[in-house]
Amino acid sequence: MYFELIIFLVMVAVFMIGCFKFKLPVGIAMVLAAISGSLVSGNGISVRHLIEGSFGYIDTILVIATAMIFMKVVEASGALHALSSVIINRFHKRPAILLIFLMLVVMFPGMITGSSTAAVLTAGSLVAPVFLMLGIPAVNTAAIIAVGGMMGMIAPPVNVPVMIIGSGIDMPYVGFGLPLLLMSVPIAIFTVLFLGHKYAHKTSYAELKENLDFDLDKKYGLLVYLPLFVVLSLMLLTKILPQYIPNLGLPLIFLLGSLIGIFTGERFNIFKKVKEAISDALPVLGILVGVGMFIQIMTLTGVRGLIVVNSISLPMALLYIGIAITIPLFGAISSYGSASVLGVPFILALLSQDQIITAGALSLIASLGDLMPPTALAGLFAAQVVGVDNYVQVLKKTAVPAIVINVAGIIFIIFANQLAGILF
Amino acid sequence: MKRKHISAIIILIGALIVTFYSGRMFLSMYQEEPIVTGPGVSSVVKLSTYFPGLEGSYGDTDVYIMKGREPGGSTLVLGGTHPNEPAAYIASVVLIENVVVKKGTLYVIPRSNRSAFTHNDPQEGAPQRFYIETPFGERWFRFGSRATNPVHQWPDPDVYIHAASGQQLSGSETRNLNRGYPGRADGTFTEQVCYAIRNMINTEGIDLSIDLHEASPEYPVINAIVAHERAMPIAADVAITMQSNEVNIGLEPSPVNLRGLTHRELGDSTETFAVLMESANASQGRLRGRTDEALVLSGVDPMYEKAADLGRLFVPYDENGHPLEVRVARHLFGIESFIISMSSYDGNKAMIVSEIPSYQNMVSRGVGAYLLPVE
Repeated sequence: MYFELIIFLVMVAVFMIGCFKFKLPVGIAMVLAAISGSLVSGNGISVRHLIEGSFGYIDTILVIATAMIFMKVVEASGALHALSSVIINRFHKRPAILLIFLMLVVMFPGMITGSSTAAVLTAGSLVAPVFLMLGIPAVNTAAIIAVGGMMGMIAPPVNVPVMIIGSGIDMPYVGFGLPLLLMSVPIAIFTVLFLGHKYAHKTSYAELKENLDFDLDKKYGLLVYLPLFVVLSLMLLTKILPQYIPNLGLPLIFLLGSLIGIFTGERFNIFKKVKEAISDALPVLGILVGVGMFIQIMTLTGVRGLIVVNSISLPMALLYIGIAITIPLFGAISSYGSASVLGVPFILALLSQDQIITAGALSLIASLGDLMPPTALAGLFAAQVVGVDNYVQVLKKTAVPAIVINVAGIIFIIFANQLAGILF
Repeated sequence: MKRKHISAIIILIGALIVTFYSGRMFLSMYQEEPIVTGPGVSSVVKLSTYFPGLEGSYGDTDVYIMKGREPGGSTLVLGGTHPNEPAAYIASVVLIENVVVKKGTLYVIPRSNRSAFTHNDPQEGAPQRFYIETPFGERWFRFGSRATNPVHQWPDPDVYIHAASGQQLSGSETRNLNRGYPGRADGTFTEQVCYAIRNMINTEGIDLSIDLHEASPEYPVINAIVAHERAMPIAADVAITMQSNEVNIGLEPSPVNLRGLTHRELGDSTETFAVLMESANASQGRLRGRTDEALVLSGVDPMYEKAADLGRLFVPYDENGHPLEVRVARHLFGIESFIISMSSYDGNKAMIVSEIPSYQNMVSRGVGAYLLPVE
């Protein structure tokens, strides 16, 4: 038995005991698990490694914290409610079309930033009230938003997991547009109709109208939407005009949007809202810090290598099963991490398949990491957006779309060459 | 005072202690290891000589110049483009501390991305330093990161768009020196370093540029030379020379659609023969087991042995690993062969360089035998 396996088992055991026996927050249990791994491996309590690991998520932490502030601001200013009312008023006659349109809206920030978290916390929070008004249960709404964000992350033009896999094998990010659209949009449409149509179909406009509020729209006009417009414009413009608009980074973009939101709608106490936002985000930020430490110690001690080598040691027939299981599981740490650590070795093991289709499909499967506890960023934030306390309920609702994503990913890999023959 | 306030104060004090302690460790990476100026070094200039915009920044790095008495060709060796690829860095240090040039000029930049030496990649569990025994005692060297320190260039965009071509790469590649060429004077920190190196090649009319690298054993381009099309005749000659001396090496043409790399952009935007060399480094790979100084030095790794048995690697891998001295020896053999080959290819570019440790000597005596005492 490899010593690395013993280290891994100790880390997992400490995490489980911390979480379930002592009811510690997940982040704290991860930190303790990382420390125990470091101790068992003979590295002592390696403070440098623990801190360094947590810094792997510093950008994600800043994006989440600032996106949460932005979400609270546009909620308090009335922008969310005003927009929901306008959308429902315009499209209520065709619920299926409305649902698909809303799903594409959820996907949009993910498509331009490559981040499901950004999609869930921005467009997801915009359209969540509409889904709820349409009579879709909160848990289903959260599931729709979570999968929408993930499919936005996979859809072109920006798919960061593919770029990460590509950089591992020197494959330029060229020719992915059509395959990624094929992989993402049908699943997004399926998900929103599967989880939402039967509810939206039943809801009458008369019922809906009672919840709509057109006063905000009349009172502030287009001004109330300015923070949303600024944030989405900056996200887009920094991509399409990089030579003229410097990279501001998502955190600064969200803060600028939040600042504008203070003056463009209903009055509210900004300090109170910022405190609420950080308070809501803190458990997730803690998890990210803990997970960062956990993965650093896994790498330091050789546990990561053990997992990766065993994942790619499967025979060809079982390799597909290995991909379907290990990539989402490892994605519990992060979908980007999974794409890098497992996506690259797997694509190298599949060199006989068309590399563009295969990399896209691996990224599709890697997106499932955003539904994998303890991080489950897409599911967790979607739950927060709609006010569901237990995000596990949301994850359960995503089970069918998740299976579809996984199966579709494997089918794309198996038939990569045939598909490439048709597409290219 | 309420109990929760006391708890908060205790936690804050604990956080401050951890911050102070770990901060000192991170800042220690700014201390540069000594590089001893060897007998052949005629001058040391700053890279900002070729682009004043770098002056005073952490991108400004030392350029060691070894000028022969006779005029002749010129060669630039780039080490430390990726400071997590130690053989590339150490090979350039060995050149500085040993080589004597009789004809032509040799330029060596050992810390091409100086900023990347000041930190480690998060979640990679890398050692901060490694130590090499010499007859005069131990020498230490930093094991850095693949990319510029975010302290010097931040934030990363979601997508890195290569300015000259519009090529899209993942955002973190924006800090990768070997994706930023040909560079821009008004670009990012990393692009400015690239720009300075390109300016240096143009200003000095450097005939041959060799960018030293290492690759993870599962990466297809490994134990290989990658050459721009103009450099291909020389590179082919070098590959044959190395192969005929039982040093297995592949030869790859520089892909025209993979932009930002030295072998493509320096070849396209200057007159230099642009080539890149790779050796096998387990300590940067995804499949590696325990990550520590021993792995950096020996390359012995049971996980890579297993992966080799499964046929998942692009280099042979056994219980002997890929020791640092073998990887450095490969680079030095390659550099010497390139200089000789260029001299034969074009008499106007001829160089005479001596005291490059031979492949056999480096492998048998080890790196430490070729490092000078630190005064």
